[in-house]
Amino acid sequence: MSFGSHVRLSREARLKSDRSYSVRQVAARIGVEPSYLSKVERDEQPPPSEQKIRRLAEELDEDVDVLLAMAGKVSEDLRHTIIKRPQLFAEMIRELQDMPDHAVLRLVREVRDGDW
Amino acid sequence: MIELREDSLHISFPEVHPDASMSVEFQRTLRIPDDGKTYPLPAGLGAFPCQHIDDHVQTVPTNWLKRGGIMLPMYQSEAMWINFSGSYISDRETCYPFAMKIAAGKINAVTGKQYKNKLKKAPQDYVVVPEQPWLDGYCVERGLIRQFVAMPLGDGYSAEEQITGEGEHGGLQIIVYPMKREVFEQRFPKIQHQELRDESMLLHSPMQNVYSCDATPDMGLAPGGRMKQEIYDDPFDFSDWDQANASRCFVHLANSLVWRQITGEDAPTVPPTSKEYANSDLPWFDYYGEATAVEGSKILNNLKSVATLGKQAGKNPLPENQSVTVDDIQLIRSRLSEDEVRDSQF
Repeated sequence: MSFGSHVRLSREARLKSDRSYSVRQVAARIGVEPSYLSKVERDEQPPPSEQKIRRLAEELDEDVDVLLAMAGKVSEDLRHTIIKRPQLFAEMIRELQDMPDHAVLRLVREVRDGDW
Repeated sequence: MIELREDSLHISFPEVHPDASMSVEFQRTLRIPDDGKTYPLPAGLGAFPCQHIDDHVQTVPTNWLKRGGIMLPMYQSEAMWINFSGSYISDRETCYPFAMKIAAGKINAVTGKQYKNKLKKAPQDYVVVPEQPWLDGYCVERGLIRQFVAMPLGDGYSAEEQITGEGEHGGLQIIVYPMKREVFEQRFPKIQHQELRDESMLLHSPMQNVYSCDATPDMGLAPGGRMKQEIYDDPFDFSDWDQANASRCFVHLANSLVWRQITGEDAPTVPPTSKEYANSDLPWFDYYGEATAVEGSKILNNLKSVATLGKQAGKNPLPENQSVTVDDIQLIRSRLSEDEVRDSQF
């Protein structure tokens, strides 16, 4: 599913029980023009900036990392983290790509032993 | 492998044995009066909240990042005890045994000597889990400890500073070794179902019910009040321990103000005073194990308690240090299933 379709379905699902989730009102709350949000939802415009996607995720109670990924973006903090140690993270991500979720979760929660 | 699960360190060695796992939890508790009297065990008041150092890369001190591990918040002069929990293996009627070294400021809490990774048999510098259910402080005499009390590193109260003259490390350090797989299999063979059903009516593991297991950034653990507690002798052979496999962790103790700066969250409730503890009708505990106890460390016994050092310096580092009368002591025996839970909540 595209970024635009996902946002539209999520917004319309909320609109059924809450009229404040109209295109106009959501656009106003995240700080864009209603026509722009409408075009994004119809995939006639590329996804907005990270900042707007963050506000949209908050508005629609969506996971920001998932929404950013659907928009083909990586959050700024992750980008900084990777750029600091590019070889290490590139190698790690490649190694993790085929691991099941539970194995990845276990790995990232492991307590790191350092130098003491 | 060590994982942090709900404020508890879960330590496992799947490469040694699928049942080789245990937990370590750091419990808030009453700071017993440092008045020369010997007190029984105060109750646990819930686990300290623990967080990964690596979750706060931007805000923790650089030397904490280098050491890795976890951190937890403590108020100055707050007390702590460490709870050890094994996972009960019903078809063997035991928990997997581990040898565990505990150090504070890299001073071994059992011997008072500098921390080293390897186990030492004589004098025994480790505890055996599940035989040792908990540790509340520095082993100063046979059957007697001085309670772990958090004091700012640099003020000279911690055992590390009294012994080495420097406050370089602070915090707590633990290293765990599992029993060798073949030794475990031989010592604790699987029990047939019929036997298991019959005997489980009579015998329970001692651990089964114990488990439900401008601020300077670093805190060290200083010797506080005297408490009755045995550190048990190793009931196994020294060669039973698998010293080729170990997991270790540095536990950083963050002053409560520093904790807020690092995490953006407040430390949990302020520790209770002895008077509040007495008024809340919380019990005290006395634990009877079946094993013999280690002798205690002369080095640690020569340390000055926080109150003594404070008095010499004309300071009052321990507010609310008045003696208390202990009148509700509950007995915990190591091989009964009832009344074993020391934990208690306000």
